[in-house]
Order: sequence, then C-alpha cells, then structure tokens
Amino acid sequence: MKPRKVKGLDPEGPLADNARRIVEVRLAELRSFAPKALESGGQETLHDMRIAAKRLRYVLEMSEPAFGRAATDAAKVAKQLQDLLGEIHDCDEMLPRVRAHAEALRAQDAEALCDGAGGARDLEPGAAREAPNRARYRGLESLGTYLTARRAVLFERFVGRWEKLESTGFARELLDRLNRPEPAPAARADGAAA
Amino acid sequence: MAKALPVPGLNPGTRFADAAAAAVGVRAREVFAHADGVLDTSNIERVHDMRVATRRLRAAMEVFAACFPKKEHKKLLREVKALADVLGERRDPDVAIAALEGIAAELTAADRPGIESLVDEMRRGQEQGNDRLAAALEHLSESRLEERLAVLARSVRRPESSPPSALNGTVPA
Repeated sequence: MKPRKVKGLDPEGPLADNARRIVEVRLAELRSFAPKALESGGQETLHDMRIAAKRLRYVLEMSEPAFGRAATDAAKVAKQLQDLLGEIHDCDEMLPRVRAHAEALRAQDAEALCDGAGGARDLEPGAAREAPNRARYRGLESLGTYLTARRAVLFERFVGRWEKLESTGFARELLDRLNRPEPAPAARADGAAA
Repeated sequence: MAKALPVPGLNPGTRFADAAAAAVGVRAREVFAHADGVLDTSNIERVHDMRVATRRLRAAMEVFAACFPKKEHKKLLREVKALADVLGERRDPDVAIAALEGIAAELTAADRPGIESLVDEMRRGQEQGNDRLAAALEHLSESRLEERLAVLARSVRRPESSPPSALNGTVPA
C-alpha cells in the first residue's frame, strides 16, 4: 500500500510543524481503513490498516523530540494496534500454507498408492493404510482449526480495541496534545529519568 | 529487539532538513552495526535486529523524503527496501518455525508429525532465505550502500548561514 502524499512539507521549516502535518495524514489514513476492516474483517484491508498503524507509529517515534510524551504515548497505542493486526496477519499467512502443505502431502500419497497399485484394475480401500504421510494429516487439520479459531478471537479483540480508541477520542486527543507538547520521558528539561 | 539509538540534538524547532540529516545518518549506521552474525541461524535475534534497524532507516527516509535530492533518495530507498525484503525472507521462516514449535508442544503426540513436516518445509525456506541474504550482504559491501547513505544524509539543503554540522533549531515560544 502506497502512503498518502503529505502536502506542504518544508525542509526549511521546524521539525514540529512538519511532523504534525505527517502525523495528521498518517492518522487519517489509519482511520480511513477502519470502516471496511471492521465490517469485512478481510485480510487485505486489515493488512493495509496494519501498514498504516506502522507508518503512524514510526513518524510518532521520530517526532518524540518535537512532541515529547504525546508522541511516546501515541506511538505505544499505534504499536499495540500494529502488533494485534500483525498476529491476525500471521494467521492469514499461515493458514494457506498449512492447507497447501496438506494438499501436497495428499498428492504425494495418492501418487505413491497409484504406483503401488502396479497396474491393477482398481484400488482396495486398505491401500490407504500404506500412505506414507498418513500420520501427518491430523496435526495439520488441528493446526488449521486452531489458526482459524485464533484469527476469529484476535479479530474480536481488534474490533473491541478499535471501538474503545474511537469512543475515547484518541485521534482528537492526539492532535490536541501535539499542539501543547510535553517533554519526552528521556528528554526532560531537568535531565531526570522519567 | 535492539532499542533504537537516540538521534541527538533534535528539538521542536530543529530545521526539518537538519533533523532529516541527523535521523537518516544515525539510522543508517545502526543498520550496518547489526550486520555481524546475521547468517547464523542458531541465533535468530541477529537477523531480527538488522531487519528492525532497516525498517527504521526506511521509515526515516520516507518521513524526511522532502529534504533529500529526489533521484538519489529514490534509488537508495529502493536499495534499502530490497535489503529489508531479503532480511524478511530469512526472518519470516524463523518466526513461523518458532511459533509452530510452540503450538506442536501444546498439542498431542499424534498431532506432532504433521506440524513437524511443515516445520521441515519451512527450514528449507529458511536455508534458501539465508543463501539469498548472504548474496545480498556481499552485494551490500560492493555497492557501498553505507557510504552512499552517509552521503545522502549530508546532502540535505543547508541554510547559507549555518555550518553543515549545525543542529541549531530553537524551541518556539
């Protein structure tokens, strides 16, 4: 997914002004994926939303010297979201691999049984007992079931997390806080560790 | 995962271009500082650290894109992305194998042969990823990417009154 272009960036201008513009665009980008992601739970939209969360997180981390704790806190929120969407993505990536692997084992077994038939007119059901991969199917089925269920559980968690963020006005709060920056934990004016 | 090195000298008033030079300079050095031992499949954290450093560099290059000469920035960003991809090809099987081994340990003995056969397949992917990473690392030194990134970091436009090393922005009132 290509990032949205940020207009009006000025290399001669201060870091804070430019970073604020980028955060605004990245935040809007993240939120724009939410309706479709929540409605469909589709792999592609959730993936796009994860990438948007990652981009927001990185710009926030980079702008900690400009926005202090506001950026640190929001970067943590973005990271939690990115991690959760990442776990869902891992399930989405792994499931087809599990299915493809089981399919490949089945094809190997069918070929082996066919070869073993030695030109017979038909194949006895008992031949399946000799399938070289027969002990492997069960684990792959269990794994596929587990990943499907885990994906559903994580998606529910994501929906709850996002709805909570929206209902507490995290986007508005972040933009407000960027306009009145506080010192970052590691860069407090008094030099004390936060 | 290695913590990101701080980029010293930045404050809200730092000129955006100076912040770009500082951030890209630090993030680029970080990538190459993690290059040792990444081909060791017995320690999967090394490749992870280099991948994360590469992601941070890529993010810095994207955030500060407006400050760099377009053509060279685009070319180097493409090379950094290619490096990130090849690190990912090695890292992804590492993560998947660890996750599958964790799941297998929780299932019954009868379930394990299937998962182990998938792990075996992924180990082959891990080896292929390692071969590609080895080739990419060799290319990295030939292409002098580290040096060219340092040049890019220094290539941001400077105000006429400031020396090249200045990070002299002031905090707005």
